[in-house]
Amino acid sequence: MCSPEEAALLRLEEVFSATLARINSFVLQPLLEAGHDWKAGCPVYEVTLGRCLPLGGSVGASVNAPEPSDPWGRECLQLLQQLHRSSQQLWEVTEESLHSLQERLRHPDSISLESLLLLHCADRVLQVHLEYIESYTSCVAVQAFQKAVKRRSEYWQGQRKVLQQLLSGMSSEGSVGTALVQALRQPLTHHVHQYVLLLLSLGDTVGERHPTRELLVHAATVFGNLQSFMRQELDQAMATQALWHTLSSRLRDVLCTPAHRLLQDSQDIPVTVTPLRAERVLLFDDALVLLQGHSVHTFDLKLVWVEPGQDRCMFHLLTPEEEFSLCSKDPQCRVAWQWKVTQAVCQTLRGKKDFPVLGAGLELSEPPTCRCGAYTFRAEGRFSQATYEGEWYWGRPHGKGTLKWPDGRNHVGDFCQGLEHGFGIRLVPQASEDKFDCYKCHWREGSMCGYGICEYSTSEVYKGYFQEGLRHGFGVLESTPQTPQPCRYTGHWERGQRSGYGIEEDSDRGERYIGMWQADQRHGPGVMVTQAGVCYQATFQADKMVGPGILLSEDDSLYEGTFTRDLTFVGKGKVTFPNGFTLEGSFGSGAGRGLHIQGVLDTAALPSDPGSTRKRQLGLGVFPVESRWQGVYGPFQDFVQAGCPGDLQEALLGFHVQSSRELRKSQEYLCCERTHPEDHAGRMEDILEELLQHRAPEALQQCLRKALNNSLHPLGKLLRTLMLTFQATYSGIGANKHLQGLAQEEVKQHAQELWAAYRCLLQVALQCKGQAPEEDEDAETRDLQVHRLVLPLVLPSFYSELFTLYLLLHEREDSLYSQGIANLSLFPDTKLLEFLDVQKHLWPLKDLTLTTNQPPGDHLPHFTRYSLVRDKCFLSATECLQKMITTVDPWEKLEVLERTYGEIEATVSRVLGQEHKLPMDDLLPLLIYVVSRAQIQHLGAEIHLIRDMMAPIHTGGLYDFLLTALESCYEHIQKEDMRLHRLPSR
Amino acid sequence: MMAIRELKVCLLGDTGVGKSSIVCRFVQDHFDHNISPTIGASFMTKTVPCGNELHKFLIWDTAGQERFHSLAPMYYRGSAAAVIVYDITKQDSFHTLKKWVKELKEHGPENIVMAIAGNKCDLSDIREVPLKDAKEYAESIGAVVVETSAKNAINIEELFQGIRQNCLENGLRKLCTALWRTQIGGSSSCRNPSSLHVCPVSG
Repeated sequence: MCSPEEAALLRLEEVFSATLARINSFVLQPLLEAGHDWKAGCPVYEVTLGRCLPLGGSVGASVNAPEPSDPWGRECLQLLQQLHRSSQQLWEVTEESLHSLQERLRHPDSISLESLLLLHCADRVLQVHLEYIESYTSCVAVQAFQKAVKRRSEYWQGQRKVLQQLLSGMSSEGSVGTALVQALRQPLTHHVHQYVLLLLSLGDTVGERHPTRELLVHAATVFGNLQSFMRQELDQAMATQALWHTLSSRLRDVLCTPAHRLLQDSQDIPVTVTPLRAERVLLFDDALVLLQGHSVHTFDLKLVWVEPGQDRCMFHLLTPEEEFSLCSKDPQCRVAWQWKVTQAVCQTLRGKKDFPVLGAGLELSEPPTCRCGAYTFRAEGRFSQATYEGEWYWGRPHGKGTLKWPDGRNHVGDFCQGLEHGFGIRLVPQASEDKFDCYKCHWREGSMCGYGICEYSTSEVYKGYFQEGLRHGFGVLESTPQTPQPCRYTGHWERGQRSGYGIEEDSDRGERYIGMWQADQRHGPGVMVTQAGVCYQATFQADKMVGPGILLSEDDSLYEGTFTRDLTFVGKGKVTFPNGFTLEGSFGSGAGRGLHIQGVLDTAALPSDPGSTRKRQLGLGVFPVESRWQGVYGPFQDFVQAGCPGDLQEALLGFHVQSSRELRKSQEYLCCERTHPEDHAGRMEDILEELLQHRAPEALQQCLRKALNNSLHPLGKLLRTLMLTFQATYSGIGANKHLQGLAQEEVKQHAQELWAAYRCLLQVALQCKGQAPEEDEDAETRDLQVHRLVLPLVLPSFYSELFTLYLLLHEREDSLYSQGIANLSLFPDTKLLEFLDVQKHLWPLKDLTLTTNQPPGDHLPHFTRYSLVRDKCFLSATECLQKMITTVDPWEKLEVLERTYGEIEATVSRVLGQEHKLPMDDLLPLLIYVVSRAQIQHLGAEIHLIRDMMAPIHTGGLYDFLLTALESCYEHIQKEDMRLHRLPSR
Repeated sequence: MMAIRELKVCLLGDTGVGKSSIVCRFVQDHFDHNISPTIGASFMTKTVPCGNELHKFLIWDTAGQERFHSLAPMYYRGSAAAVIVYDITKQDSFHTLKKWVKELKEHGPENIVMAIAGNKCDLSDIREVPLKDAKEYAESIGAVVVETSAKNAINIEELFQGIRQNCLENGLRKLCTALWRTQIGGSSSCRNPSSLHVCPVSG
């Protein structure tokens, strides 16, 4: 059975469909023809009264119409075309609804109530209505009807009567345009109103438990909401339309857009603006507009923050570049404006109108304070003309964002309170095409501060610290090897200039300067090492050498006096030759005359011993080791003092990125492959926790080893930077024996600093846990920890450079020693033992000594026995000693030495059949025997490296003794009788 | 906590005069055997209490053979004291002793305390070096002198007691100069084995 409401709905749809058809034929199509009809003449419309079916092709006429020439006309036409399309859709839906109603009425028993389109597709019907309302209100807001009518006013005047007959809503007063607006509005509002009424009463007729009841209630609610939404939309559109009449044409041109809807006008509820001046304030749905004379100040509501004012009659507005207050006469007006502005901001941010139909809740929410948006700065200043796109907070860029200047500069990164702050990548285009300076840096309050990597368009790269936008602290500036004058500076900077201790390598000249700088020039004490092996120490002033210096040539000649950078001797000086001769006098050189000397040649002196030439070390004492790399330690100390904040780790300790020299395209510049700082923030606590967990001696060593090997750990980062400085100083040209002193004290200092760094981290970790800090350790304990724990861990990082220096320094002795062991290796065991005066009862060949004492006639058995024992004497001790070169750890080497002694004693005790304590008279020859058999290369370099790295506390102790004993063997093997005494041929 | 004073003592003298025997005897009745490892009879330590201090002797033996003489400086550098041993039954060993004294005076550490030990006094019936000669010589060079017998444990304690005494006096002098140096702003010498340092001692 069908209810009378369904029949009424059917009639409603029939009428509406017909109305739409008429509107289409008599209003929309002629409006769309407006563009070309003057030439084509009035087209004749075939009007079928009654129903005509909407056809897809019916919009064809408008599509073919030529576009109006002026932009305004074009826009109107587009809006009308849109309206036409949505009108067609509305018509189609109405027809469908009508059809479903007809079916239902025809077969009420077989077809259920819920098959009605209005019920089972209420949302689709709603959608079509919304689209229609939107295009209609857009046309209204920009007065599209009026404008279109004006173009063919004669035609429309003629049509007025006809339209009045056909369209019930068409009034006879006012202009035709206004009348058309009414004509389109009235049927729609009536139609929706009827929907609601009929659906509600239909709902009443079906019982509470009827299966379709829910659908009916839903549909009634949907269309009820639609009705009130439509009312508001239409009112806003009308108000907006009315606004244009009150504005000058110029202002209208600026402000009039289809999307704009007027929400509030200061002419309705008066407000004034301070400190900005405005005679009128307009609130649109997407912008706040201040009018003053002909000037228009528009504020995008996305970037407007509302703040309550001090008194009840005003409130503040924050925008990216302006802050102002709206003041009203009474609190009610203020409340109205504030509410409207807040709502408008909310709606803009949400991107849709705040209404139940659109799915938004009714709650009055505050707009979020953190937002995303784009804005182009206008005011003078750093950001002038730049467009910021990204996160905002209370009117300022805050969070992640991109800043683009019209000149091509580009900044991507973190912002805080309106300034670059945190990590950011800045591209600065250079004059030549496709070349950029790229700064991957940490920023602080708008300028570079902390660690950064800068790749310049000149293909130079700077990796280091900045302050206030300038290089400051430790940093490495390097040019690519391809550049004409390849250069690398590793050292300290101050306000953008090289200043303090630093190393510059000029590979073109083959020189490396190690020393002090000031204002970008060599200034103060400095050491120069050259490719040729010549090196000198002098005092510099403004890049020039002043006063006397020391020059060491490769052949160990020494010159003390004044000389120039191209190594010409000038003035008073003294040369000491390797053979001990000295030449003292006045040096000079003239063009083409060679070297001139007036002085005394002393040939009486003896050759200086190798020990004293070894002591000729450059730079000792002039570059205090404690402050040499302060720029590397400093940021770490700052980091620890700040309590190890994860977000500062990168800025203070640096980060590593893949070399990106090959990347030359700007987009590729903008990515920076580094570990995400947030990972650090999370990890910092773990790192500290781990330190706390591993404080027992064995665990501590493991923990430190892990930390130092991890390039993301603060200690690992520190070690890596120190390695960088060490290589920059002592590898390549810097591998000069006269730098050994400088290098070894530096390594020990690094170990000390790393231990101090660990201690600081530990204290922070304890503090974080609210535990009492550890007591300061005394100097002795610290010394022991540094030498026994830290040094072995860090030494491998510096070993290759450091050991090379020791090799060079002990080259001469090592070569004598090599000759010695080569000679001794020719001796068979027994001969060697005999040669070294080892007491016979200690020989580990008791039975065999008898055979050797047999008369010389008995050759054959003697010889067999001989080779049998060839490799047996003190083999265990020899093999043990050889293990010394399997480690770089001085401590382990000393332990190897101690075990070697143990092996010797064990062998002797076995031979004697009782425990025997060897006095030095017996031990030394045996040790020499073992050392010569172990044949360790570069033993001199080894010994001296161990001694230098040994903890001072061991001086005079067991290890000192063992090392001294080894050294005395080494010395002894170098002696002439060891090297040159040959086994008598038999 | 008890202050430990470390004293590096170097043993010099001909091979066979009983250098290490003297030390072995001295170290034998040790009250803290287990604390310090040794290198046979070549490197030994002994700690003796003295007032509220502990004196730790670090005793370095040297090879007495003539051919190793030139290596000796490595051993005696940094020593607070040197014990030069001769055999009272061998005149030659007394000659060698004089050579050592001369070398130490010229190349040895500043203010090194020298102690002369005439060993094997149990064999005085075949004595070649009269005690008087030794005493006169020792006096002339300001050295401690005793005749010892490692075999019968005669005068061993006394020998080291004398060394301690002299080192203390020396140390006092050194301390004064160190203080003086710091006062005038010069850098005081770095760690010296005979300097005082504090570390915990068990028991």
